[in-house]
Amino acid sequence: MKSVVTTVIAAADAAGRFPSTSDLESVQGSIQRAAARLEAAEKLASNLDNVAREAYDACIKKYPYLNNAGEANSTDTFKAKCARDIKHYMRLIQYCLVVGGTGPLDEWGIAGQREVYRALGLPTAPYVEALSFARNRGCAPRDMSAQALTEYNALLDYAINSLS
Amino acid sequence: MLDAFSRAVVAADASTSTVSDINALKAFVASGNRRLDAVNAIASNASCMVSDAVAGMICENQGLIQAGGNCYPNRRMAACLRDAEIILRYVTYALLAGDASVLDDRCLNGLKETYAALGVPTTSTVRAVQIMKAQAAAHIMDTPSEKFAGAKLRKMGSPVVEDRCASLVAEASSYFDRVIAALS
Repeated sequence: MKSVVTTVIAAADAAGRFPSTSDLESVQGSIQRAAARLEAAEKLASNLDNVAREAYDACIKKYPYLNNAGEANSTDTFKAKCARDIKHYMRLIQYCLVVGGTGPLDEWGIAGQREVYRALGLPTAPYVEALSFARNRGCAPRDMSAQALTEYNALLDYAINSLS
Repeated sequence: MLDAFSRAVVAADASTSTVSDINALKAFVASGNRRLDAVNAIASNASCMVSDAVAGMICENQGLIQAGGNCYPNRRMAACLRDAEIILRYVTYALLAGDASVLDDRCLNGLKETYAALGVPTTSTVRAVQIMKAQAAAHIMDTPSEKFAGAKLRKMGSPVVEDRCASLVAEASSYFDRVIAALS
């Protein structure tokens, strides 16, 4: 799993040397920024279900045709799966906040995403709408500190870009 | 390769839940500078630690440097020093990451079988690792032994905290123990 620490170690290992001062400094930089993202991760985890539910509702509101017979949100099973997908994205974003990089989203969310949605005939626009809603819903300092919100929004932007 | 953060993520993903134990990670972050000092203490003294550990191993078993011993001739002694440095290096990586996966995947996996095939004596290797374990503890606590170091005594001089980084000493020791367990 890619993070600052593992990247530094992989580079040091490739050169066969002990961690150098500059290696330690880049790890220190990552640790200093960790407080904000851990705060965001904590807040998101405590409210993940509601955040995902609101995002899901917003995208169905914008694309009501999804409720029509034969569409992706038509039956109860489909609805549950749509809501679950949004929740998956929010969970992966929480992982990214914990790790301090986009590794979890890249490996477990984005890799193969295009192929899966094409094979299942799912539109990506509703996903974009759901994540965009979450992107604009967060508010500092009501939900979390400004720095934490920046980290959180950056990851939502990253996920939105991967779907666009 | 995982670190303390990605380990928590992989564990949470196994049950499709969010990472809930954020406090453990906050503690990791809070003691981050101590960890970096510990890594620096080992990395800065690595060559000394390695040569001392191998020399100590040979002192206790002179047969190693006599004809037919595993550290004779120089070519094999050099291989021994190189291997001790490699092991110490991966332990340092593990300490930096806060997770043993890099040590397991890149160093210990198959090491025992390789040494068995090459006829490297396990007991001697384990002894050298044990010496490095004691040295690492001394360097992390910044309490190198004046009695043994003599004129070569070298202190890191990093700010000393109350518990002398006891948790990091325990963590580093656990990685050395992992090496010993993998070899024996």
